[in-house]
Amino acid sequence: MPRLRRGLIMTPVATTSVIPASRLHGQPNRPSQVTVGTVVWLSSELMFFAALFAAYFTIRAVSPELWALDTAKLNVPFATVNTTILVLSSVTCQWGVFAAEKGKVGRSGKIWQFREWGLREWFALTYVMGAIFVAGQALEYVELVHHGITLDSSGYGSTFYLATGFHGLHVIGGLIAFLLVIGRTFMARRFTHEQAISAIVVSYYWHFVDIVWVGLFLTIYALQ
Amino acid sequence: MKAEAWIIASVSVFLVIVTPIYWIASGDPTGTTALVMAALLGLLLTFFLAVVAKQIPARLEDRDDAEIAEGAGEYGFYPPWSWWPLWAALAFGAMILGAIFGWWLFAIATPFGAIALCGWVFEYYRGLYAH
Repeated sequence: MPRLRRGLIMTPVATTSVIPASRLHGQPNRPSQVTVGTVVWLSSELMFFAALFAAYFTIRAVSPELWALDTAKLNVPFATVNTTILVLSSVTCQWGVFAAEKGKVGRSGKIWQFREWGLREWFALTYVMGAIFVAGQALEYVELVHHGITLDSSGYGSTFYLATGFHGLHVIGGLIAFLLVIGRTFMARRFTHEQAISAIVVSYYWHFVDIVWVGLFLTIYALQ
Repeated sequence: MKAEAWIIASVSVFLVIVTPIYWIASGDPTGTTALVMAALLGLLLTFFLAVVAKQIPARLEDRDDAEIAEGAGEYGFYPPWSWWPLWAALAFGAMILGAIFGWWLFAIATPFGAIALCGWVFEYYRGLYAH
């Protein structure tokens, strides 16, 4: 009798903690809904930045003398180095995704053996590079404010800070997302399909923000 | 997914052709920027759909001989309930208002936003859902 009773009590407890197969292994032969949703959202993000690009080119077309004056104050070599760091961070991010696709969440060698790195190490390195980029942007803002370019100094200042500022906010959002993905790998005892998909969609976002920056760099620093 | 990829690809091709014509005919920077970005949007979606179409076999909706019953089973994980998006929205709303009315409000709202975001992202990694 006691054995039967224990069985009756144990059964519902055991069934409540079952994790759905779609979280553990995914749904083969179907596109991941998280991935599709992320791409739909990135499409709207693209058009958000389209508005900022359009504002830049519109105001540039009506005030060429202002542009000639203010773009001379840009520190192009510094911005080029900063851009290179951000573009390379997309590469390290992608290596983290390759590790995640192989189910390799942590490193299997020493910390300096980067060939043995897992998702966590690559994403941590990407985080550091993204943080350096944001810090570089902050330094550049300080330099430009000292040269008299502020958000309300002129049409140039407004479009410059709005476009690069909204991009910088997106980079900071990406940095938070990297921490949350790494956090999920530590919250669970096993590396699941859901965590791999989280890493992949964060990489989509990061590549997107990176490409937007390349567009902004070409617009603001190369084309001026 | 091939059908979707071709539909969006045709939109992209249209925009790629129309954009330079518009720029030459009008010289309007605003509209040209919008068209360039719309073309990039089409190319982004075409690329995504084409890559997914290569990765997975034809879906049930792509096949003429598919049966309704084949679509049975688990489709994905949909959280059955969650209050975290509400708290996150309230906290982020207060943070944005802080940018308008004063940074003190932003400073007060940020810790709540951090808690709500972590609560949301980790909700199905804790308690009964720990795995």
